Amino acid sequence: MQFRSVDLPSIGTKYELETETRDTLAIIYQQSGAIQVYITPAEGGEGCSASLKDVEARRLGNILTGAIMEAEPEGIEIAFSALEDLRISVHTYIVGNSAVGCCIGDLQIRKKTGATVVAVSRKGRNTINPGPGFVFEEGDALVVIGEAEQLKEFEQVVLGR
Amino acid sequence: MMQGIGAGLAICVGVALLARKFSFPAIPCYILAGLIAGRSGLSIVLPDPGTELLTRLGLLFLLFSMGLALTPARIRSSGSVFAGSGAIDLAVNLPLGIGASLLLGFGFAEALLLGSALYITSSAMALASLIENRRLALRESETVVWLMIFEDLVLVVIIAILATSGGGAAITLALMAGVIAAFFIACHILKKPLQRLLSRDDDLPLVFTFAVVPVAAVIADILAIPETLTAIGAGAALAMTQPRDLERLAKPFRDVFIVVFFFFFGAGIELAAGLPLAAVAILAAVAVGSKLISGLLIGTAIHRSPSAGLEIWSHTTARGEFSIALAAISGSAMVSGTVAPVVIVTAFAGAVLGKNAAAIRRRFAARNVP
Repeated sequence: MQFRSVDLPSIGTKYELETETRDTLAIIYQQSGAIQVYITPAEGGEGCSASLKDVEARRLGNILTGAIMEAEPEGIEIAFSALEDLRISVHTYIVGNSAVGCCIGDLQIRKKTGATVVAVSRKGRNTINPGPGFVFEEGDALVVIGEAEQLKEFEQVVLGR
Repeated sequence: MMQGIGAGLAICVGVALLARKFSFPAIPCYILAGLIAGRSGLSIVLPDPGTELLTRLGLLFLLFSMGLALTPARIRSSGSVFAGSGAIDLAVNLPLGIGASLLLGFGFAEALLLGSALYITSSAMALASLIENRRLALRESETVVWLMIFEDLVLVVIIAILATSGGGAAITLALMAGVIAAFFIACHILKKPLQRLLSRDDDLPLVFTFAVVPVAAVIADILAIPETLTAIGAGAALAMTQPRDLERLAKPFRDVFIVVFFFFFGAGIELAAGLPLAAVAILAAVAVGSKLISGLLIGTAIHRSPSAGLEIWSHTTARGEFSIALAAISGSAMVSGTVAPVVIVTAFAGAVLGKNAAAIRRRFAARNVP
């Protein structure tokens, strides 16, 4: 793997990565905040490119690092040895179109589903225990806690799945 | 006094919306709109003292921002590509531009000016072309970016030469060198306090950034040297402190004033003072052709491929803000009347070339395969 970074005055910074298969990835962080990603295959075929906003780039980065905010949300189930019949699930979700602009109170999340939103990660900032007035934005990553059934309900009611 | 600014900017907003819709560069559209609305056209919006002040600020902020990008550390890091491609570009385009101007009957001083205006590519349009046409992954794009910086340095030299064309050349030259050196020394000594000032989170960084430009102009006025040069010098010296912050702070001023500058440059032009249409067409053809020659040479020398040269050509054909700046500095109606149509033609040609860069290279490659 070869890595190289160059300063492009008045444009931004370019990062170039050559993979083991000799494909080339170039990422340009523009001064304007926008990000361009280029992929050029080793041989044959046209390269392709994409332009990303910072939120989109962060999500892409999270997918690539395999961190908690995966596009395929992940969850864990907690069981306590002293409380045998208590099984709590913690699950992450990314806010999609259907919930954007709604606040937690309006959606009546706890009343309708029984689940609770315990944290929201937005643009690298975390809000722990968001209040009923908290308004969801596109791309917010939610940490939701509840029983498995309640989380299923949450997916249906809030995310419309 | 506000009529000109109001009417001009209102027109420009409409023009820019249209240009963006068809993803065309806005700079030639502003000039064209000025030409149509101004002295050579309908005469409905004419320059007045109010617009003259903003126009002047537009030019100075353009050059100040350019100076901010000219940090010595950056230039050192660019290495031989920078000097090599820049030298080829200069050696091909400047003589061709001057030669063509001389053949068309300009005097030597005007030919030098016109040649310089034909030599210098629009950095704004070249960079926008690379970004919007998604060419940044290519190594050629790096060459183009460094080429723009090299041309900026040459522009500084050209402005200095133009200032010394009158009497007392040695004194003027020494004064200019002295002032720039003084700016650098001052910024070196005051580096820490300046950095603290620019890192504040109130309105002072913005006020300071704005103030730098008029103050640089006042210093130039007192010493009778060009204010364009002190604006560049102030930018280059301040780039030692917080260049990224300064670029961000100066951007809104530059973006607004420069639109006024382009529009009223167009509005103030008397096309009749320039060359006849046929001569303008010849100059525009020379401008496009000379960048093709230099592009091919640079592509062959730096990237070992003429195809890379076509890529460089596609993005560096558009002349723009700096050509207009040189014409404005000269104050010659004849030069301005000639540069404006050349800028419009090359900018539109450059936009078409930039969009089709990949197709041009493919066609070229197909022809070269036996």
